Amino acid sequence: MAETVLMRNFERGNSHTLAVYRGAGGYGAWEKAKAMEPAAITEAVKQSNLRGLGGAGFPTGMKWSFIPKNHTGPVYLVVNADEGEPGTFKDRYLLERDPHALIEGMLIAARAIRSALGFVYIRGEYVQPWRRFSAAVKEAYDANLLGQGFDIVVHRGAGAYICGEETGLLSSLEGKKGWPKIKPPFPAIKGAFGQPTIVNNVETLCCVPPIIDRGAAWFAGLGTKTQGGTRMYSVSGRVKRPAVYEAAVTVTLRQLIERAGGVTGTGRLKAVVPGGGSAAILTADEIDVTMDVDGLKNAGTMIGSAGVMVMDESVSIPEALLVLARFYAHESCGQCTPCRESTGWIYKMVHRLVEGHGHKDDLDTILDVAKRGAGTTICAFYDGAVGPYISYIQKFRPEFEALIRK
Amino acid sequence: MPKLTIDGKEIEVEAGTNLIEAARRLGIEVPHYCYHPALSIAGQCRLCMVDIEKTPRPTIACNTQAADGMVVHTDTERVKQSRQSMMEFHLINHPLDCPVCDQAGECWLQIYYMKHGLYDPRMTDEKVHKPKAVPLGPHVMLDAERCILCSRCVRFCDEVTGTGELGIFNRGDHSEIGLFPGRDLVNNYSANVVDICPVGALTDRDFRFQVRVWYLDTAKSVCTGCARGCNIDVHVNRRRPHHAEGRRVARLKPRFNAEVNAWWLCDVGRYHYGFVDGPTRLAAPARRGPGGSTEVDWDEAVSAVADALRRYPPEQVAVLASPQMANEDLMALRRILEARGITQVAFDVPPATPAEGDDFLLRADRTPNRRAAELIGLGGDAASILAAARGGRLRCLWVFHHDLLATGWPSSEVAEALGRVETVIFTGTNANATSDRAHWVLPAAAWVEREGTFTNFEGRVQRFRTASEPLGAALAEWDLLGRILAAAGGAPAGSRAEHWFRDLSRSVPAFAGLTYQGIGDTGQMIAGATSTGVPTPPGRRAPVTA
Amino acid sequence: MMTPSDPQVGATTSANRPPTKQAGLADPAPTIRFSGEQLAEVRRLQALYPDRRGALLPVLHMAQDTFGWISLQAEEYVAGLFDLSPAHVHEVVTFYTLYFQQPKGRHVVAVCHNLSCYMAGSRDILAHVKRRLGIEVGETTDDGRVTLQSVECLCACEAAPMAQVDERYEMNLTPDKVDRILEGLR
Repeated sequence: MAETVLMRNFERGNSHTLAVYRGAGGYGAWEKAKAMEPAAITEAVKQSNLRGLGGAGFPTGMKWSFIPKNHTGPVYLVVNADEGEPGTFKDRYLLERDPHALIEGMLIAARAIRSALGFVYIRGEYVQPWRRFSAAVKEAYDANLLGQGFDIVVHRGAGAYICGEETGLLSSLEGKKGWPKIKPPFPAIKGAFGQPTIVNNVETLCCVPPIIDRGAAWFAGLGTKTQGGTRMYSVSGRVKRPAVYEAAVTVTLRQLIERAGGVTGTGRLKAVVPGGGSAAILTADEIDVTMDVDGLKNAGTMIGSAGVMVMDESVSIPEALLVLARFYAHESCGQCTPCRESTGWIYKMVHRLVEGHGHKDDLDTILDVAKRGAGTTICAFYDGAVGPYISYIQKFRPEFEALIRK
Repeated sequence: MPKLTIDGKEIEVEAGTNLIEAARRLGIEVPHYCYHPALSIAGQCRLCMVDIEKTPRPTIACNTQAADGMVVHTDTERVKQSRQSMMEFHLINHPLDCPVCDQAGECWLQIYYMKHGLYDPRMTDEKVHKPKAVPLGPHVMLDAERCILCSRCVRFCDEVTGTGELGIFNRGDHSEIGLFPGRDLVNNYSANVVDICPVGALTDRDFRFQVRVWYLDTAKSVCTGCARGCNIDVHVNRRRPHHAEGRRVARLKPRFNAEVNAWWLCDVGRYHYGFVDGPTRLAAPARRGPGGSTEVDWDEAVSAVADALRRYPPEQVAVLASPQMANEDLMALRRILEARGITQVAFDVPPATPAEGDDFLLRADRTPNRRAAELIGLGGDAASILAAARGGRLRCLWVFHHDLLATGWPSSEVAEALGRVETVIFTGTNANATSDRAHWVLPAAAWVEREGTFTNFEGRVQRFRTASEPLGAALAEWDLLGRILAAAGGAPAGSRAEHWFRDLSRSVPAFAGLTYQGIGDTGQMIAGATSTGVPTPPGRRAPVTA
Repeated sequence: MMTPSDPQVGATTSANRPPTKQAGLADPAPTIRFSGEQLAEVRRLQALYPDRRGALLPVLHMAQDTFGWISLQAEEYVAGLFDLSPAHVHEVVTFYTLYFQQPKGRHVVAVCHNLSCYMAGSRDILAHVKRRLGIEVGETTDDGRVTLQSVECLCACEAAPMAQVDERYEMNLTPDKVDRILEGLR
């Protein structure tokens, strides 16, 4: 099938150790990068068409280039290891099985953006990955890979999905509630502790060593015109072999489901969430879509964190929406009005619907409230909630209406 | 300076001006909650959205700085719909407390809802419930359900007072304003959070359930709690005398003055009005003798005092004036002293417990007009007046406002002194232990019951205006002093406070050239004095950030 | 299914509220103080961040590990180490779900209830755990052994249904597996 790039070391025994990583060619890219100008590194990443793999899909090289050229103070590199998007588990694997790949990616990125200090923000629940990664960092220090112009601080979160939003993460890193920051200013201008900051996802940075090692053109060539490389698709739900699968971004959703062994339960596919809980749902006849940023955007949804959740005919869409509505109500940080107030209200309405006490106007009310709030909030969390609110009801409306007796 | 267009009107503003302020200058109101010019930008309420050409979605105005060539629309259909939506969001969990909420009539949820709302609420689910009627310190009452979580109060305690008592706990729609459990809101500016709270989440405990705001009238005035003279509005209840236990002054609110107090008022000054409608108010002139106290009319009182002043040799008359008297009052007193050749006058009576100023607005000097009393020439040695009285060398002692028995002087000495003076005259607003020993009691109108000017510690002359009628027969001091002067053969400056101010500006060089008109509502500096402006808020000196 | 007004919605999960069964939990009034070594660690952590406040979350984890849970006293103590107002520390503690504001059991079992786990039968697993332990979500067993939580996505969806037990992820749960795990919690 496709190239195995990100998961290349996973099956090696002790893949998380420096010795094994080095033995497999690890830190060779860093050697190369050390001889490159920072601007050349950024250019290579730009040419590779690498796009953020945490959720937003922003071109990584372009993001790096937003650091002001004339800035004389510190620049920070922050790694978003606050994986929390429902259906996503790829970063957990990378932290546990190939932590040095992340460290090497950080070294190269830090050189590109001229950062001397990096923070890795790991969600608080990921205790084993945190220990694994911290051990790798210690190895890197002992081997003088770190501490030679670049330091890493490993920081544990404390349980809040919103800390996966890049500026919510920065607020949390600063020792506050994970309240996202109003933009402008953007993190590249004023981020962590008021300094220019680049926030990148774990997986995104793990792509960087292969890009430097094997070339931007190679990476770009694996994908589409607008997105290069491979990525790790987390496939779960009603499939035979839920797991993380690496594929070039040209893979289709149908192909992924097949790789995961096909649909279980009734065996008949009903719907798929293609990009983590915040992505609009796709019906069974919409799965011949390429799983890249633009492919899914054109299909009216998003690749997000590439968390693929498969639903068979026996899954109740209203109940699935209830699960997610509760999630958004629970995780809303509460900072801005539309999200704070309506995530709770919509959860109550969906709950009433599922319990059989829905009113005939509830569905249109949910749709209207969601539309009115979309695009008005401080961060994209609410837009993530709107994805399921609107798509589940619009695409499976009869199933919802059946619950409304009157 | 960027030049931009808002709703078709062009305006040039300083760089860094946000769109709410730019629009305000054109008289265009952009509705908002969390924005406040004194506080950092929060961008939380999402109500201030405007349409900016070349920007795909409506943008919040508070966090958008005016840029050259920017074209802004605040009245498009999209903006109107956005406001409607935000009002609906704000009301999802807001309790229908209007009938029992003090904020009714000045509530920005009410105001904006009427202007921009949906009018057809479709929220029929159970609202989130939070604590109600939670005291936050002595002055503030919290109703957490009403709170719209604009965070103004939190930012105020961080950025202005620097005390950081308030926080927003939990998350989602269970977010709640509160204090650290077990702690209290006890900074000197606690009640300012009531002013800046757009809704009835934070209300004044003193004002709670007293009177509906639409019955209140307002007058511009100046606080008399200390020598800074923070600008205030006096809110009086004239129309519902059966509310608020008949208190006429309902509350004091800060009035913005960029040079004196900005938007703020300390708690000491804010509640410094209880005496106005308190039980010890003097309402009628009285003569006091061995048989007790008898009310008399002004004619009798005026001629009795004038007579005493004529009878006694001036060296046997002393006056303890007060830095609580207005400029006009002090000027009238000076004319009396000059007319009779009385030279023993002082105003600096030591307080029982010297007060302290704080690191922001409150001054240690808790009187409003010391600067003027000095300039007008009424400063003398108060202790020697006390000694003269004790030594039997005074036959007439005229005391203004002071309760000499509750000062830093030993009360036994004061009692002795008062006992040895043949005629003690007391002029003041409220009865006290000293007025109880006076032979003649002349009731003065409180500052809210008349107009006049005070001179603050920096030399800023500020006007205060009449908010309410004087109680009973009480008269402004310049008025009763003017009558006494006339009865003693002198010529009062006139029949209005302004006449006395003119007399002052012509006679005392510091006040030369000042007029009521020039003073206006922001004040004027006396000659040679410069304003240092509002002190840096403690929170900006040592930021406490949420 | 949880009712919409359940305390779980809106961060401070029901596990952070007073457990109704409290016997055998923390000492009534433990001394809230870090040792000299721990204080040195606090300073070390603070020095890692451009603004020492960045160390607040790590130090709160330290406090929880040391004192078992984060009392108001602990919040004030930590506030003092950072020169922060206690209100702002309280904001942080009430915002994040991993900080316990009430004593917790020696072990914490957090069953995921998000989408893939739901599809894999998390509700039945949760019901089974409740039966075995004899407590509701948010509560702690009488002997102070286990606190039960029902939580959002732990990002181990490939092994649904699953739970976090203390520091470990326990995956691919079945009633039998649950029984073995619970038995192993002393």
